[in-house]
Parts: sequence; structure tokens; C-alpha cells
Amino acid sequence: MTSVLFGLRLGRWGMVGFSAAAAVSIFVQTAGFYQVAGQSAGDRAAFGASMATLAARFVALFPPPIRPDTVGGYVEFRGFHPLALIFAVWALASATGFARGDEERGIVEVALATGTSRIALVAARTAAFAVAICVASAAAGAAFVVGVASGGESVEAARVIEVCALLAAVGLSCYALAMLVAQFAAVRTATAAAGVVLLTLYLVNSLSRAFSWLETWRWLSPFRYYDLSQPLPPGGYFDVRGFIVLIGIAALATAAAGVAFQRRDLGASLVRLPSHMRPPSYAPSAAPWWRVPVVRGLYERRFGIIVWSLGLALLAVLFASLTKSIVQVLLSVPALVPYLSIFVRQQLYPAVLGYTWFNVAQLLFAAFAITQVARWSAEDTDGRLEMMLSEPLSRAAIVAERMAILTAGALVIAAISGVTLYYSSHSQGIDLNVQRLVTASLMLVPFGLVFAGVGSLLAAWNPRAAVGVLGAFAFASYLDTELGTIYKLPLWLQDLSAFKLFGTPLVSGVDGRNLALMLALAIAGVGSSILAMQRRDVGA
Amino acid sequence: MLLEMALAAIHTSRLTKDYGAGHGLFDLDLHVADQEVFGYLGPNGSGKTTTIRLLMGMVRPTAGSAHIFGLDCVRDAVEVKRKVGYLPGDVPQFGSLRGGEVVAYLGGMRGGVDRRNVQSLAERFDLDLSRPFREYSSGNKQKLAIVLAFMHKPDLLILDEPTSGLDPLNQQEFYALLRETRDAGATIFLSSHVLSEVEHVCDRIGILRSGRLVKVAELEELRRIRFHRVEVEFAPDESIPETQLRAAPGVENLAVGEHRVTCTVHGSFDGLLHAIAGSRVTDLVSTEPSLEEFFLSFFGEPKLKALPS
Repeated sequence: MTSVLFGLRLGRWGMVGFSAAAAVSIFVQTAGFYQVAGQSAGDRAAFGASMATLAARFVALFPPPIRPDTVGGYVEFRGFHPLALIFAVWALASATGFARGDEERGIVEVALATGTSRIALVAARTAAFAVAICVASAAAGAAFVVGVASGGESVEAARVIEVCALLAAVGLSCYALAMLVAQFAAVRTATAAAGVVLLTLYLVNSLSRAFSWLETWRWLSPFRYYDLSQPLPPGGYFDVRGFIVLIGIAALATAAAGVAFQRRDLGASLVRLPSHMRPPSYAPSAAPWWRVPVVRGLYERRFGIIVWSLGLALLAVLFASLTKSIVQVLLSVPALVPYLSIFVRQQLYPAVLGYTWFNVAQLLFAAFAITQVARWSAEDTDGRLEMMLSEPLSRAAIVAERMAILTAGALVIAAISGVTLYYSSHSQGIDLNVQRLVTASLMLVPFGLVFAGVGSLLAAWNPRAAVGVLGAFAFASYLDTELGTIYKLPLWLQDLSAFKLFGTPLVSGVDGRNLALMLALAIAGVGSSILAMQRRDVGA
Repeated sequence: MLLEMALAAIHTSRLTKDYGAGHGLFDLDLHVADQEVFGYLGPNGSGKTTTIRLLMGMVRPTAGSAHIFGLDCVRDAVEVKRKVGYLPGDVPQFGSLRGGEVVAYLGGMRGGVDRRNVQSLAERFDLDLSRPFREYSSGNKQKLAIVLAFMHKPDLLILDEPTSGLDPLNQQEFYALLRETRDAGATIFLSSHVLSEVEHVCDRIGILRSGRLVKVAELEELRRIRFHRVEVEFAPDESIPETQLRAAPGVENLAVGEHRVTCTVHGSFDGLLHAIAGSRVTDLVSTEPSLEEFFLSFFGEPKLKALPS
């Protein structure tokens, strides 16, 4: 019990943050439904049709909704499905944080020294995460109930409990799987390896909706069993067997992770390549890049930048190959043909590809910026910043070099993903305007810099809180652009969202005003972070 | 005053960092001469690390000022660090970088680091720079921190408990390195909570308690005021030279057992050794008091409440 409480204590901010994020996003989506869907049956039917169109664009990510003309169907699609993905990311971070991060910091060693067995420790931390994710799921469910009440409707309690249970079960199975994978990977690659496994499992299931040859493999994915239920909409269903399978996956993977943990050395992976003896070296690295500002930072982050570049390139290929099938689905809706014919003259495929790909790319560039800010925060709390400041470098120079490294890294990722998108779309018979593609891909860099600027300020102000607050800022920015028009927020407030400022550069080109605003936000963030850094104590 | 600042390697004037609730460093007036080895002694939480971070410009003073070679530690922080080698109290985490990469990284930031000097330091401490930092033991991490502090042959070394984690052989090697560095003309500011350590290498010591500098003493004075707890076991057929022991200078608190005596020895051991010179001694154990016990003896006050540094 003490171990479970200790696990909850270590993960309390994750629980609070994800519960709050889940509650806010579900409430906003639920209350937003009543703002946008209209009151009459006709309005709602039209709204449901437009949602079905939108869902077709995202068929590779989320299952198509049932009855999106109802609050249950709409929120299940726009709220709970994305939340399952967000909870999977939380599970990944928590599981690898326990399996390798806490081990690196010596927390696991101390816990084991108290006489707790390894299997008991794994079980306790899984139980702690189970409690946390149940709390976050319950917060989402409560927000849905409140949102529905605000619209003067009611919802069956059993349906809400089912959707919350599903959310918790899929998150828990992801946690257990990530913890299992982390046992086999080296410390530095554990998060990436577990992330790749979870992403693969997710894509195997979601892409099977577009590529039938994947259907034979989707049983491997926990997301498949999540998709089997859609309890909220009228006519929806809760697949008990699927839910039991999710719990079974969590239990089995936890047990396997416990056994693997028992068989490996602390700090090592279960599978270790034999290392050959080599004579000691007393010479420092002679590589020239260590002497060149920015280049040394890029070299140090090379694996991360390569992984981000490859990941985005793969997704670019995926989106390019899905575009035609998405458009086919759209064209099969007779009511949409007149509407789409406007776009046909303006190249329908590039329009759809620009919308889907750059929407996802924005999210990923925001995530890239957040990971870099997490690194800056870690440099501060681990003492590396103090060591850097013991060299004859000003604090401003360190902030500037960090931003330059991030900019260069973002440029590399944008360039590789842009080139990949061009060639993969070309191979699909979709010809993109090269100039527009270049500018749209380059726009991702100032977009990421907005988050980096805010993150830099947060890291200078309070490094321990920086990642959480920046994540909340990114989430709020996303909600701002999603819901700004629905709730008729003031234009200046909507303009604070980088997602809004990005626009649709592949279709309509770059808006100079929005680009200037993004750069101004980034520069303001960096400038104020330099001032904050000058005034704060380091290492105290 | 200005001349004094310019001539001093370290000069602080009413330097204060107030963390509230009585925690921090208060009104520190310190003067460390060029080419001096200054030991900064104090129990955990007395303010040693806070002083060092103020000197390094990591934290900003609440009041007062600190100068290194006449340069203001806050305003001229970059210039100050050109002249300083720094060893922090906690070795930072460099993850998967190899030792040689850490040296190249920080050396690249500094510029002008002689590779041969790095190699010579690494060889001296037998530190394999090809291994990842993550795989280093705590002793090897401390050795790496020593290499980083000394690699550019700085004019001033600011070292926060530099021997923590080092085994006795490497501690001796480190003391030898300190002496050579001092002989080469550098100034050394070394914090410690181990009396014998500062005694090994320092010209002067400053004693800090509860965030205040309470004593600055020459090494000879430290030797006079410090003491050891000694236990001597005599052979079974040997009579204990009690009279000589009671009369021996520096020997106090004598307790005589059947074949064993315990006492405290202040200053030199000459008196004790002279008193037992004619007897067959089978065992002799000398224990250094903790800093708290030293303070109790020196200041006649109970152990101080620990403060975060």
C-alpha cells in the first residue's frame, strides 16, 4: 500500500494535469455541441452530416462516429477518442519514467532496499497509475455529465461509466505494454522504443480501416478493443469482451514486465549486446563540432532529431497515400459534391492533404518544441546548466544558443518531412505546388518557435513547472483555435493561438501578418526569458 | 579599498544571501590573497555552497558584493569565469555522453583548453574518458569534475567539497595536484566539512556556522585548537604509564582501564607519544572528531541546527 501511495505521490502532477485537461476538453466539446449543432432536428442532421465528412478525413486516426448529430456521438468522436490517444501518451511517459527514469535517479534502488520485491514494486506502480487514470477518466465523465446538463439534456449513468472504464482500460494496457518494452531497451532508448511500439499498435488498428490487408493484424492492438465499443451515442454499444481483453492485456503485460524486471540488472536492459574489451582512453574527443556553437548542440541531439525527422517523414508518406481514399469517401456523399466542386477547380487533393497533414504536423512540431523545453528544464534541475554557466558564457548566450539549436533542428525536420511529402504525393499522382509546399513546411519552424519562446520563458521562470505549464498552454492554444469561432472569442485572443496563426499555407499561401505575429510572439518569449534568466538564481 | 579588491583573488564585502527564516549567508567579509589556499570549513547547511554559488554568479546576493581579481561576480560574471575553474558540490548528470565528449563539450564552450593537459589529468586519476558518463561510478564522476575544473589551468579554483566520493589513494593524488597547482601560482578556495582535509592543503581556513563567518585562522592556529580522540591498548604484561600520560602536554580527559586508556589530544601528538614511548603498545587508534564535535569543543555550544546550503 505504501508503494502505491508513493507511486501516486510521484505521479500526482500528471494525475492532476491530465484530469484537468480531460475535464476541460470534454466539457468544452460537450457545451460546444449545443452552440454549433443547432436546436432543430434539421439543423442537427445537417451538423451530423458535416461531422461525418470531417470524420472521413480522419478515418486513419479515429473510428467513424455513430450518430454525430447527437451529443453522445459527437463527444465520443471529438472528445473521448482523442483523449484515448492523449492518455496513451501519458501512459507511455509514466511507464518509461518509472521503468527507467526513476531507476536512473536511484528511486527504484531505494524502494527495493526497503525489502519490496521487484514484482511487488511493478504491481504497486501499475496500481498507482490505475488509480490516477481512473481519476482522470472520472473527471472526463463528470465533465460530460455537466456539459450535457448545461444543454438541458440528460445522459444514462451506465453509458458514462462504460466510456470512462474504456478510457481507463486502454490507458492502463498502454502503460503495461510500455513498461514491458522498457525492460528490454537501454535507458536512453526506452521511451523511444516503447513509443514506437505503441504508435505501431495504434497505426496497425487505425490504418486497417483504410488498408484491408492490415485487418489480419489488428487483433494485436489494444486500440482495436477500444474501438469495439462506442457506448455514448444512441444505438451505441459496449463490448464487454473487448473491455475484458484490455484488462487482460494490462494484467499479462504487467506480469511479464515484473518477471523481466526480476531477471535483469538495475540500470541495464534485459537483452544486452556483449561489449568487447578495449583499452582505456585518456584523451578528450577531438571532433571539431564540439567547438562550434549550435553545431555541438545539434550533434548532442542528433538521435532525437533523426527520430523526429523519420517519424514525420513516415507520417507524410502515410497521409499522402491516404489522401485519395479520403477524397473518394468525401465524393461518395452526394450532398457534398456541389460543395467539393468548388475545391476541385482549386485542386481538391492538395486541399485535403494540406488540411490533414499540416494539422498533424503542427501538433507534432508543438510536441517537438515541448520535448526541447523538457530538456532545458532537465539541464537546470540536473546541474548541467550550472556547469555551462561556470564556463565564460553569458546567460543570454546560453538562451540564444538553445533557441538556435531548436530552430536548426526544426528546420531539418521540416525540410525532410516536406521533401518526403512532395515525393510521396507525387508518386500518388498528387502534384503539389512546390513553392507553396516549401513555404508551408518552413512555416512550421516559426510555429514551433512560438512554443519554444513561451517554453524558454517558463524554463527561465520555473524549470520544474515549465513542461506542465507549456503543455497546458499548447492545449489551450489548440482549444482556442478549435473553439474560438464557436464561442465567438475576441479576435485578439484567437490570434494568440499559433494553431490559428499557421493558417492553411499549402492552399492559400502564407499570411504575412500571421507570420509576423508568430515571429513577434517567439521573439517576445525569448527576450523575456533572457531577462528572467539574468535575474534568477541557478542551482539554488 | 579598491586596491585591496584588485590585489585579492577573492574579496567579499557584507555579502548576504537571505533565503528567509534565518537560512542563507549573512554579512560575509572575506579576503583571500592571490596564490593562497583557503579552506572554507563548516557543517552541512552552514552556507558554504551558497557562498560558492554567489562567487560564481549563480545566485544573486541580497546585499553586499563579491569580487574576484577585482571583477564583480554578478556584473562581470563572464570575465570572472575565464579566470576560474569550478567544481560543484553535486556532479551534474551528462547522461549518455562519454567522458571525453563532456570534456570536449564544456572545453569547446570555454575555448583554448589544452588537450595534453586534459590527457595528463585523466591519466593521473586513471579516468577512462571513452566510457559513457552514465556508466561512471560516483568516484569516476568526481574525477571527471576535477578534470573539468583543472583542464584550463585557471588562476583561481573554486572547489565545493572536491574529495567527496574519492577513495583515499585518489584523495592523496588530489592533494598533490592542489599543491602543484598552488606552486604554479594559482589560488585555491576549497570548501569542506572534514578538518583533516583542510589541514592537508590549506594555508588559512575560514569557519562558517549558521551562515556567518565566525573565525579565520592560520593553519597553525587550527592545529592548536583541533583535537583527536585517542585509544591506546597496551600489552597484557605492560604497566600503563599513567603519571606520564597525565603530565603529557595536550593530553586531556584521560580514562584508564585495565590495559587500555582513552583520552583526547589537543594540537600535537608529541606529548602522548613521548609518554608511551617506553611501553609496548599493541594498538593505537586516533579518531578525528566530527565538525559538530569540534564546534562543541571550540565554541562550547551544542550542535547547531542544520540549514540548507
